[in-house]
Amino acid sequence: MFKRIFEWLIQPLGLIAVGIALLALFSLAAYGLYATQQPPEQPIQFPHQTHIAFGIQCLYCHPGAAKGPSAGIPSSAKCWACHNQIAKTQTSALLAPLKQAVESGAPIEWVPVAIVPDFVQFNHRAHVAAGQNCENCHGDMTKVTVAQNPQVFNMGWCLNCHVKSADDDQEKLVKLSDCGTCHY
Amino acid sequence: MVTLADLKISEVKLSEEHVGKWGMVIDQDICTGCQACVAACAMENNIPFVGEEDSGYGRSMHWIRIERFWEGEYPEVKMTPNQPMLCQQCGSAPCEPVCPAFATVHSQAEKLNLQVYNRCIGTRYCANNCPYQVRSFNWRDYERPEPLPNQLNPDVTVRRRGIMEKCTFCIQRILNAQDKAKAEGREIMDGEFTTACAQACPANAITFGRMDDPESLVSQLAKRSHGVKHLEELGTLPNVTYFKGG
Ligand code: HEC
Ligand code: HEC
Ligand code: HEC
Ligand code: HEC
Ligand code: HEC
Repeated sequence: MFKRIFEWLIQPLGLIAVGIALLALFSLAAYGLYATQQPPEQPIQFPHQTHIAFGIQCLYCHPGAAKGPSAGIPSSAKCWACHNQIAKTQTSALLAPLKQAVESGAPIEWVPVAIVPDFVQFNHRAHVAAGQNCENCHGDMTKVTVAQNPQVFNMGWCLNCHVKSADDDQEKLVKLSDCGTCHY
Repeated sequence: MVTLADLKISEVKLSEEHVGKWGMVIDQDICTGCQACVAACAMENNIPFVGEEDSGYGRSMHWIRIERFWEGEYPEVKMTPNQPMLCQQCGSAPCEPVCPAFATVHSQAEKLNLQVYNRCIGTRYCANNCPYQVRSFNWRDYERPEPLPNQLNPDVTVRRRGIMEKCTFCIQRILNAQDKAKAEGREIMDGEFTTACAQACPANAITFGRMDDPESLVSQLAKRSHGVKHLEELGTLPNVTYFKGG
């Protein structure tokens, strides 16, 4: 039985079949990898680049970054403060979900992009207070529409920068590489 | 066989010289055994409710428990004061060197025993080596029916099945308070924050704070002559002091 299959496989047609199967598997894997690197579908194609070009500060929309662990995503009320005075809001198809959300009072369900796993405790305040720019970790937002990650937030990435910023300060190095600083 | 006497107790560094960073004092004379600390700890630290059946197998999960002991022969039994037992945050912890995965390590920054949940593979060596028996193991993914998930503390990891856990001295509160103090450009103040168990205790039997600050309430209390550290003779350098019959 196995011998018959093997014999069929080593004839030219069989070899082609094997080749096609391998190619299909490979492209599936490649597509899978590619898909993990794509920003997810958002309810509104919110254009970061246009808003930042108007000179709106990151902290106006993400004020938590200076105060506490999480930066926060603006509520529709914050968008509406500007957008109810902008004529385009009434006509733009892109903004229809925002108009709908404000009228019905339902929240806009943004899909998280920049996240670390539950067992990691990240704190924006410490980083912003230490003079780290948003760009260092989130990339240049003036070039993107919806947010996407310029790198994976893995442990080596965190520790690399921590070791670098501690420099020769032994106490700081101990604190910033201590498991209890990030995992609890 | 090696006995305790052979171990030359005099060579073991006793706790008098050891000063940890964070410490706790528990006054057993005023503890009423009401279990408020046990409940508060479970709320603060996302400890699951194990249920009757698994508890029957000895799988109940607590980071702090109230121990009760009796003295004398029946019918003249007398109960000794309640003894809240939690991780003693040993300066030289027996649980640490036995972990094959380095998941329970000593925090050099906070001088606490850490349990890195994501590193833990559940061998349970640490629990077997803990002389205080204060570690608990997640035998299952225990159910949290609605609306219980709403009360989970976002600052504490929700543990999965197969992971060891134990009291952390509420490290999330420690780091939070330190972060707040740093944002305001000051040192952390004594009594500014406390652990969940100490906060909930209606009798104020639990005091928590900086051990290395001679002015703090805990370090003052810990110096009292009737303070006892449990199983100190094992050389564990515990950071919890108990008062009994003072
Ligand atoms: C500081 C004022 C301001 C705030 C706050 C603001 N926007 Fe805008 N937004 C603008 C301006 C100005 C434009 C450009 C309108 C134009 O092109 O005429 C714009 C354009 C847009 C567009 C593109 C519309 C199109 O059809 O090209 C979208 C989508 C949008 N905003 C969504 C949002 C969302 C969602 C929020 C809340 C998170 C928000 N905006 C908050 C000022 C603001
Ligand atoms: C040291 C790197 C770093 C810096 C600097 C940084 N972030 Fe973040 N940011 C992260 C990480 C890591 C996460 C994921 C956090 C999580 O999942 O808890 C995140 C998450 C976010 C999120 C989404 C989730 C949330 O926390 O609400 C927003 C929005 C955000 N950052 C905005 C900013 C802004 C604005 C700045 C600049 C003021 C900034 N970040 C600076 C690393 C950084
Ligand atoms: C007008 C308000 C506004 C401004 C200004 C703004 N953002 Fe955002 N930001 C949003 C909204 C809305 C989202 C959610 C949609 C998305 O993920 O793109 C978001 C998402 C993000 C995320 C991804 C969060 C997540 O995990 O979902 C990051 C990171 C971020 N912003 C960083 C920045 C940085 C850095 C700046 C300044 C250069 C900035 N933002 C300026 C409104 C704003
Ligand atoms: C670009 C550099 C950089 C990256 C990347 C980075 N950090 Fe930091 N981190 C710092 C600096 C600088 C400090 C502040 C040190 C100080 O307070 O002086 C800090 C402080 C912290 C603190 C607070 C420590 C304290 O003093 O209480 C935590 C928690 C933390 N980082 C977690 C993380 C995590 C988790 C990641 C990865 C997801 C990460 N960091 C990535 C630079 C970085
Ligand atoms: C600066 C913050 C930081 C410190 C300090 C840190 N970690 Fe991590 N660790 C992370 C982040 C962020 C991740 C998530 C990586 C990812 O998502 O790929 C992680 C992931 C891990 C994982 C992988 C878990 C999994 O299931 O993928 C292990 C194991 C781990 N850490 C153990 C440790 C140990 C042990 C220490 C102390 C020696 C430590 N970490 C110190 C930030 C930190």
